Amino acid sequence: MSPTLSAIVLLLFVLLLLGYAALGRRRPALFRPIPGFDALGSAIEKAVEAGDRVHVSLGTGSLLSPEAAPALAGLSLLSRIATRTSMSDRPAVVTAGDGALVILAQDTLRAAYSRVGAGQRYRHTSARMLAPTPFAYAATLPVLLATENVSASILVGSFGPEGALAADFGRQANSFVLAGSDDVPAQALMYATAEHPLIGEEVFAGGAYLQLGALHSASLRTQDTVRLILVLVILAATALRTLGLVG
Amino acid sequence: MKLGAYLLWTPVAVAAGWTVLLGYLLDDAVNPLADFRLLLLRWAVWIAAGAVLIGLLNLLAVHWSKISLLEPGWPYSALVLLFFLTTLVLGIVFGTNYPIVSMLFQYVQLPVEASLMGLLAITLVLAGVRLMMRRRQLTSAIFLAVALLVLLGTGPWLIGNGSALQEAVVVGQRWITQVFAAGGARGIVIGIALGAITTGLRVLLASDRPYAD
Repeated sequence: MSPTLSAIVLLLFVLLLLGYAALGRRRPALFRPIPGFDALGSAIEKAVEAGDRVHVSLGTGSLLSPEAAPALAGLSLLSRIATRTSMSDRPAVVTAGDGALVILAQDTLRAAYSRVGAGQRYRHTSARMLAPTPFAYAATLPVLLATENVSASILVGSFGPEGALAADFGRQANSFVLAGSDDVPAQALMYATAEHPLIGEEVFAGGAYLQLGALHSASLRTQDTVRLILVLVILAATALRTLGLVG
Repeated sequence: MKLGAYLLWTPVAVAAGWTVLLGYLLDDAVNPLADFRLLLLRWAVWIAAGAVLIGLLNLLAVHWSKISLLEPGWPYSALVLLFFLTTLVLGIVFGTNYPIVSMLFQYVQLPVEASLMGLLAITLVLAGVRLMMRRRQLTSAIFLAVALLVLLGTGPWLIGNGSALQEAVVVGQRWITQVFAAGGARGIVIGIALGAITTGLRVLLASDRPYAD
């Protein structure tokens, strides 16, 4: 893609985001139900009431790689989950395979606890780097799930095939498992092993479904609008090519 | 987060993000911030290396805390610390090409990770069976039927290899993987790309601030 076209697309995204954010105050968006996000609230409540922990995984990808976006979406979810579990005897535990993501997770936890006046409950060991390689990360999860009394496991980040194992370990521990990744083969594997798999861009939709702000809802509307434009462009190009009007 | 820190970090993060992004859109010859962008990217590499070290220190701190408080599972943490420190000392003293360090990777790390790949195959078979019991939906049935057809069409058959039935299965498998699956995967990838762009833009617009809230 040429730099000029890239700049135009970027500008379109920014204008749509800001436009839908402004429109959202007057006309709130209605989204289709996603069973995983619908069940997430009650799973967190059950964990808090039972004195169990909620585990949030930010995946095995690196913050400095192109796979950072789902982990950033996971951090948005973490902000809300940490707030809701801050008064629990056992607050949320966060894991990642990258040191930089762990630092961001610690900041997110600290900020969430401070917001609800529970800053003294923050422990820097609540956000952990489990292991630097994907399968070593998956191998350490069963011990964490068993020893920390985890009853809800939210896997939102960049996972490869190890994500399927991570989701299955959660199921074996009788946990609620919500799992999503940006990797298509990993999504297919998670569909089989996770209780609530997130398909396609659903991994980025958590912020809008948990009502984290106007720009989160605007993001989904922007994605839908650009997707519609892309579909029309693809159909028009296919028709023109079929009719022999373009080379 | 104190108000002062919040006011400092947000503009720094947003300015750095936009500077790097605009560097991809503007030619370096006309971009007055080209050198600054390269400097930021070099810093990012250094910071990432520092973050790996911080991550390892975090790993040590977590396991040390479990051992000192004798929390459930502390023997596992003791083993992690023992092998972590052993590998670290050997690597620092003798270098990463030292035979014992190479052997640790070749005969411990690699087989463990390979065995987990094997475990994944078994997990998927069991998960496929459980899927029909857990989610009795049309999509689950289609998922399993397609998985079975693709498996049958990919490898040789013990009985009936080269038969008309196998030919039909192979043709069906190719149709599914090259037409439906490839088309569907492209659609999913487009959706993921759109989601990734909007997620990144929220950070650049300071709506999401994982670094300072």
